[in-house]
Amino acid sequence: MGVTCVCQVPVAEGKSVQQTVDTMHKKLEQLGAVKQGSFWVDCETYHPTGNVSGQPSKLLYLMHNSETPLSCIALFEGGPCLIADTNFDVLMVKLKSHFQNAKAHKVECRGSRYRYCDFLIKVGTVTMSSSARGISVEVEYCPCVVPGDCWNLTKEFMQSFLGPSVPELPSVFAAKPEGLFAPSDCVDTMTQYLELFNKLRKMQMPGSNVR
Amino acid sequence: MADVVNVGVNLDAFSHAISGIQALRSSVSRVFESLKDGMKNRETLEGREKQFIAEFQDNLQAVNRDLNELERLSGLVGRPSESHPLHNSGLLSLDPVQDKTPLYSQLLQAYKWSNKLQYHAGLASSLLNQQSLKRSANQMGASAKRRPKVQPSTLVLPPQYVDDVISRIGRMFPDMTIELFRPNGTSAVLLVTLGKVLKAIVVMRSLFIDRTIVRGFNENVYSEDGKLDIWTKSQYQVFQKVTDHATTALLHYQLPQMPDVVVRSFMTWLRSYIKLFQSPCQRCGRFLQDGLPPTWRDFRTLEAFHDTCRM
Repeated sequence: MGVTCVCQVPVAEGKSVQQTVDTMHKKLEQLGAVKQGSFWVDCETYHPTGNVSGQPSKLLYLMHNSETPLSCIALFEGGPCLIADTNFDVLMVKLKSHFQNAKAHKVECRGSRYRYCDFLIKVGTVTMSSSARGISVEVEYCPCVVPGDCWNLTKEFMQSFLGPSVPELPSVFAAKPEGLFAPSDCVDTMTQYLELFNKLRKMQMPGSNVR
Repeated sequence: MADVVNVGVNLDAFSHAISGIQALRSSVSRVFESLKDGMKNRETLEGREKQFIAEFQDNLQAVNRDLNELERLSGLVGRPSESHPLHNSGLLSLDPVQDKTPLYSQLLQAYKWSNKLQYHAGLASSLLNQQSLKRSANQMGASAKRRPKVQPSTLVLPPQYVDDVISRIGRMFPDMTIELFRPNGTSAVLLVTLGKVLKAIVVMRSLFIDRTIVRGFNENVYSEDGKLDIWTKSQYQVFQKVTDHATTALLHYQLPQMPDVVVRSFMTWLRSYIKLFQSPCQRCGRFLQDGLPPTWRDFRTLEAFHDTCRM
């Protein structure tokens, strides 16, 4: 488990999502990366029922990642998180009375997985209700566990194929109590994906509130 | 080549002898011709017989004369020199077809080459023997009697001394922790953890460093039976490269008489890897080259270079 950075790539002018993804694949292959199958990340939203006060209750997000196929991660945005095995999905069905599944809000990200030296690059299309909303790129530098050490290195690598749209240091690393030099784990990756999904969801539906 | 061999031959007498042979051949053929022609026509039978016999006798006497002449001349010709200065290889030089089978010239070249090689090897061995670079106790070429007695004293050190030296070095650097194990007899195996960057396993032989293997911080150092895994390579290319460089370093830092200085220098060099992912290359200024960070650390200045950028 290395240091991961998830960012969004804007769709190129006058091109479709699929075409932009293909351009990215070509750039990666030119760099010398080798395709190693596919990946998927998905996120389901649950509303807690039975909230007495009028305050908007926090949503529970249940996420899965093909890198850890036997686990699932349940987290509140900005709040505590739980890593459990796949039986947790069944448990959530049993907890129907307390948590309602908002099926229309399910977000998925699917795409190809590339390996270049010690880097793992995943380019995926984010879809919600079978409509493509955007493109996500995840870059993981596997040998290093401390984000503060290898951020410059990762940024240089991302510049080589993303060009100008290189992101800043993900806020999830800076928000930790020990700062940038705490070791990172898979929760950080999923938090970054969650932020990206929420951003893409809000972009297309500006009028809806988070209940 | 043939001229050189046949120095003793008298070329003049040789040509006379050849014409002597030709004369002998012609007189012998005259004999057989007269026999073939038979008796010539004369008035009486006795006259014909006498004529025939007289002719036959003349021809045979001519043959006899020529044969004696030839014998005299062959005595003058002389013999080719008995002593071949080149012995058996000189016989090889008599081969007339030099283009298709250039055996003799190739033989001469091979001989000259092997002479030169022997000479240079002698020079090289005398130069190399001046500085002993031996890391083992065995002496090559020493007789069996001498071998057990001559052994460097630094190879046999009490384990307590080794423990002391290692713990002293471990205290020198705050971000490096060294644990000592002795899984196989008296040889120490160190597990060096450098910050949150890497873990190195160093196999020692008394106070000499024998082998090292470097793996990532999040990789497993123990094998299935709970012992330290000293053979599996790292799964990351960057640490495979660092392992190669560390092996080069342990061969570079050598002082047979003061092994603790060597261990200290090696640990100082290894500690420079604490900033493996943070330092750019001193030569090209970039972080990545072929996907790898600067993995080479100069032995004197400890500056970071890419493997392909190092001078």
